[in-house]
Amino acid sequence: MNPQAPTPVRDEFLSEEDLDLRNLTIEEVMAYWDLWFRQAQITNDADQWRYSHGVFEEVPDGART
Amino acid sequence: MNVYVRLTDEFNRGRVRALISSGQAVVLYQLAIMSKDGDWIVREDAEATGHILAVLASHGASYRFGAPLDERWLRGGWSSHLEYRDGPLRIRTDFVTRPPRLSAEALGAAWRDGERRSPPVVGLRELAEMKKTNREKDYAVIGELARHIPDVHGQLLLSRSARDLLALADAHPDEWGRACRDRPLLHRTTEGREALEAALDAERRQLMHANERRLQAYVDAARDWAAAWPEVARSTAGLTLPQAHARITERAERLLPFAVS
Repeated sequence: MNPQAPTPVRDEFLSEEDLDLRNLTIEEVMAYWDLWFRQAQITNDADQWRYSHGVFEEVPDGART
Repeated sequence: MNVYVRLTDEFNRGRVRALISSGQAVVLYQLAIMSKDGDWIVREDAEATGHILAVLASHGASYRFGAPLDERWLRGGWSSHLEYRDGPLRIRTDFVTRPPRLSAEALGAAWRDGERRSPPVVGLRELAEMKKTNREKDYAVIGELARHIPDVHGQLLLSRSARDLLALADAHPDEWGRACRDRPLLHRTTEGREALEAALDAERRQLMHANERRLQAYVDAARDWAAAWPEVARSTAGLTLPQAHARITERAERLLPFAVS
């Protein structure tokens, strides 16, 4: 028998996949992001009126062209 | 290289004019893969905005609805938004000079620390403040960010974990006492984990509502500008970015207030 101290429970905020990013080199993270970014282009139509940052969440109805 | 890191290099040629912030900063800190768009804090001067516009012009960028990239509006907390295509990729660029929830002192510190990093990126503590938005997912990011803040005081002010806060309060009672002045929620550590968790939930909701009110003030102030935008966009289609910028700025001077109360 190999008595081990139990792993302390901690509050988790991010996925295991995200937490694993810390184990990659920054070059690997950039390559992973680049692949993700290319795949994420598929949602461009769905988020065409959205903003990720700044003081607007979406283009106001009257301003859509 | 990440397209937004490459753009940051171009923005900062000869002088640091832009700090990477928000989603791309989270990626650079190796915390999560997020955000299709780039977001920068920009120096609030005409040389910086002029240089960034020139870089974007070289990529064929055009304006999205928002404030002109001009320090008169940026000083009032507005954001500017431009985008362009790079082959199959849609590149979106968002700019502010006065990020929300950062005091002038904190913003100054962000610049001093950020410009020493390569690429220049906003610090963990400032990033966590900026992430206090009305989106649930940002609080998960803050929770993880807080664990990487090097100083105990910063961890106490930003942690989203009741367990972490209880451990910090136990290990650093003096720091806890000082931090209580800036974050009253920390007093609840004496009542145990469940009470602290409830207080964290309530704090998150208050922060989200505060940000909703902040954004609504900008939406209200931009009502005339939004109504005019379809015509502004039509009249600037086909122009070079410098030409479009001049025309958009001229129209915005009449329709978009510099400051929002």
